[in-house]
Amino acid sequence: MSVSTGYQTFIGLEIHIQLLTETKAFCSCHVEFGDEPNTHVCPVCLGYPGVLPALNERALFMAYQVAEALNCEISPITVFDRKNYFYPDMPKNYQISQFGSPIGLNGFIEFPYEGEIRKIRIHDVHLEEDAGKMIHAGDISLVDYNRAGTPLLEIVTEPDLTSGDETEAFIHYFRRFVRFLKVCNGNMEEGSLRCDANISINTIGSGLGTKVEMKNLNSSRFVRLALNHENARQQKVLEEGSTVHQETRLWNENRDITVVMRRKEESHDYRYFPEPDLPPFRPDEKYMSSVRESLTELPLFRQLRIAAEYKLSNDQAAFITEELERADFFEQCVREGADPVEVFRWLSGDVLRHLNREHILLHESTLTPRRLAGLLRLISEGTIHGKIAKKILQVIFEENMDPEKILSEKGMEQITNEDEIRALVRRVIDEDPAAAAQAADGEMKVYGYFMGLIMKMSSGRADPQITRRILETEIMQEK
Amino acid sequence: MFLDEDGLWKYSLDSQEKVEEYTSFVRDMDRGIGAFLEFDPRRQASGIVKKEGSLSGLPIAVKDNIAVEGFRLTCGSKILSDFSAPYTATAVERLMREGALVVGKTNMDEFGMGSSTDNSALQRTHNPWDLNRVAGGSSGGSAAAVAAGMVPCALGSDTGGSIRQPASFCGVYGLKPTYGSISRFGLVAYASSLEGIGVLSSSLPLMRTMFETMKGTDPHDQTSGTVDSPTDTVRKIGVLKNPEGLAPGVQRGYLTAVKELRGLGYEVVEIELPVLEYVIPAYYTIASAEASANLARYAGIRYGYQNAMAEDPRELTEKSRDEGFGQEVKMRILLGTFVLRSGFQEQYYIRAQKIRTALRNELDRMFTQVDLMMMPTFPVQAFEHDSGEMDQFQQKIADKFTATANLAGIPALAFPVGIEGGLPMGMQFMAPMHAEDRLFMAAESYSRVFTPRLSSYAAGRTTS
Repeated sequence: MSVSTGYQTFIGLEIHIQLLTETKAFCSCHVEFGDEPNTHVCPVCLGYPGVLPALNERALFMAYQVAEALNCEISPITVFDRKNYFYPDMPKNYQISQFGSPIGLNGFIEFPYEGEIRKIRIHDVHLEEDAGKMIHAGDISLVDYNRAGTPLLEIVTEPDLTSGDETEAFIHYFRRFVRFLKVCNGNMEEGSLRCDANISINTIGSGLGTKVEMKNLNSSRFVRLALNHENARQQKVLEEGSTVHQETRLWNENRDITVVMRRKEESHDYRYFPEPDLPPFRPDEKYMSSVRESLTELPLFRQLRIAAEYKLSNDQAAFITEELERADFFEQCVREGADPVEVFRWLSGDVLRHLNREHILLHESTLTPRRLAGLLRLISEGTIHGKIAKKILQVIFEENMDPEKILSEKGMEQITNEDEIRALVRRVIDEDPAAAAQAADGEMKVYGYFMGLIMKMSSGRADPQITRRILETEIMQEK
Repeated sequence: MFLDEDGLWKYSLDSQEKVEEYTSFVRDMDRGIGAFLEFDPRRQASGIVKKEGSLSGLPIAVKDNIAVEGFRLTCGSKILSDFSAPYTATAVERLMREGALVVGKTNMDEFGMGSSTDNSALQRTHNPWDLNRVAGGSSGGSAAAVAAGMVPCALGSDTGGSIRQPASFCGVYGLKPTYGSISRFGLVAYASSLEGIGVLSSSLPLMRTMFETMKGTDPHDQTSGTVDSPTDTVRKIGVLKNPEGLAPGVQRGYLTAVKELRGLGYEVVEIELPVLEYVIPAYYTIASAEASANLARYAGIRYGYQNAMAEDPRELTEKSRDEGFGQEVKMRILLGTFVLRSGFQEQYYIRAQKIRTALRNELDRMFTQVDLMMMPTFPVQAFEHDSGEMDQFQQKIADKFTATANLAGIPALAFPVGIEGGLPMGMQFMAPMHAEDRLFMAAESYSRVFTPRLSSYAAGRTTS
């Protein structure tokens, strides 16, 4: 959707990602989703009297990875703060977060959008803890604290996005970004990646307008719909000569509109102050270099490199770098000698179909780069042709075997011996002379019928080109 | 009864009979004192008591804001009056590992807020030296239990003087260690950056063993840790030039102590500490700010006192807090909320932190000139219950000598210096961070001048 009415749109995001740690941010409870309520809790994450938080080093490390990957200035000293507000799903009634000295400041992220590379500035990256979940059931309220204390990383962008569509694309890319870094599974439906947005519009050249915050954006689609709706609403307000109020609005997914949640004057005073229970952390050069060493090539750059290095189209490279495991798999196949385009074709075709059908991921399947490369080698060497290759792929998936072994054990080698093939051809012609006569009269589709029979008899092993040639010769002789 | 001629505890609870005998003695004794909120030496299963260990069979009392599994953890508050500790504090666990036996939980000012233990919502505790008087606070129950000879030592917590002031009121030793040297895990938080667990005892060697046993890094408390300091000597002691506002008796005691220190061979120099006048506003600003967050968890939802009539979560929290907290606690929560408002932090909270930094710098400078400092613990001796002798505001002002050590994080030890008007009186030593050694050495040497004795009440009952 494009708006070209003399207005400029500014969209910023507050993204929360749940870090993929085994244990919670400040205690040793396991991070698990979907288990029985209140089974992953302890005195610490329940905020019992007398307990203290002990910071999860893994969560801290991941936070630095993200800050570094987002090109942030790393604070020489990182401090935790208490953010005070009462809510039943918050055990301590304050959240351990970061306010004054977050982990990273003033970064940026680049992502591909409509054939360009867009750059979005990052305001800050800070580490905090998640709350539990409150469920209202009729006139009772239930609280599940399994999620309480899960490490959350908040990434705040500057208002550099310009439309709902672009924001949706950004979130897709950001999901890839965190999955490449292996810090979050990026699942918006489960809430492991959440996002609030702020949007303001103004006449071009007049700077930011009045900011409206948007909440309840539970999928990237809702983000797009809500922001585009809000963009149009604010424009209408301005065109009518009124003013946009600074407020928080909720996306109502049933009615496809945004509605007011609270006005500015109702906003909280969180009374931040430094968390006395956690000492400030000063990352030294050694720590930061281990952070940098741990970082992987980011999806955008890997996409660009793969396109250039293997002479693939941008879309092909985008497919390959959609998931880290897929990109690794691809490059491993190529290193094993496979042709990049062929690897792409198989990964985006038969392999993907199988994975989708079985609801598994590439790296969870029995197909390894070596096996796919081996399969492609058998094709390129002429040992097998495409149809057999598909069968072998199926066997790899089902029986966890190497393609070469399947070939020898299951007798799937291509038949290229002309005498053998001629015998097959003669058999089908002799069994159906009427059809052979039709073919000889020029009924081309009967050739297909004979080819099918031969392939069936040879379990698909007869070399199609040789078979076709011999079949044509033999039919001609029938004339 | 359980002490030898030198006042040392000689009774090990190593048999069923001894536990029974001890239990009935304490129950009888405490009827007039009210030191214990809970007393039951059999609670800590006898199997757990180790026969070996430096503290084997030693009964200890624990202030009721320190978690001991199997006991309640009331903090002297209605809001936690039925709350049982689901775990044990690290400090207590370390004592148990050495064979100590937790016999009960002691009374205190609600959440440690007070100087008399009269702010307890659950019980009154009387000073064993004069039952009409307070035992001090907030660790008043622990101080009274030790002074009455019911236990040789007790754990307390010190946020602004809560170990040292009751120790001086009751004529026993009170140690507030270096901030972080003993894990706070299991100590119910009031003012996290100021407080710590410490020991009240009638015996310095025992106090030292207790401290050595409890101290050290705890993975559950990332602010914990100790630094080994080289063996020390104490030669030079700084004393305040003109400590203001002391009651005449305390003033006399102070001057006597100065004289005695000289007599013991120390070089005593007079020092001035102008920043002392800012200690109380800074202390109460920081303590209240932290308290307002620390006490937010008592919301009537997961544990603790619950209003039964509430219609929704918000009302449940509001009513439970309104009915569960006492006046002083509410006042400090409100004060803390006030000083942390955005836009006002510069004026209050941040300014208090600046005073804190200035005080630390001042003390650092001071400790390049002297090995120890000596100050009064409190401007008055134990006052009467409900006397109006000291209102809540005056009690706060009077914390300036003790709160100094909490703001700076340095260790301090209150020691008895004499009996004045039938009541004990104490002073305190302060040392640089991690130099507890110096405190013990100086207190040990002062004990040659004045040996603390059992309170009159306890003495009357134990001469058998």
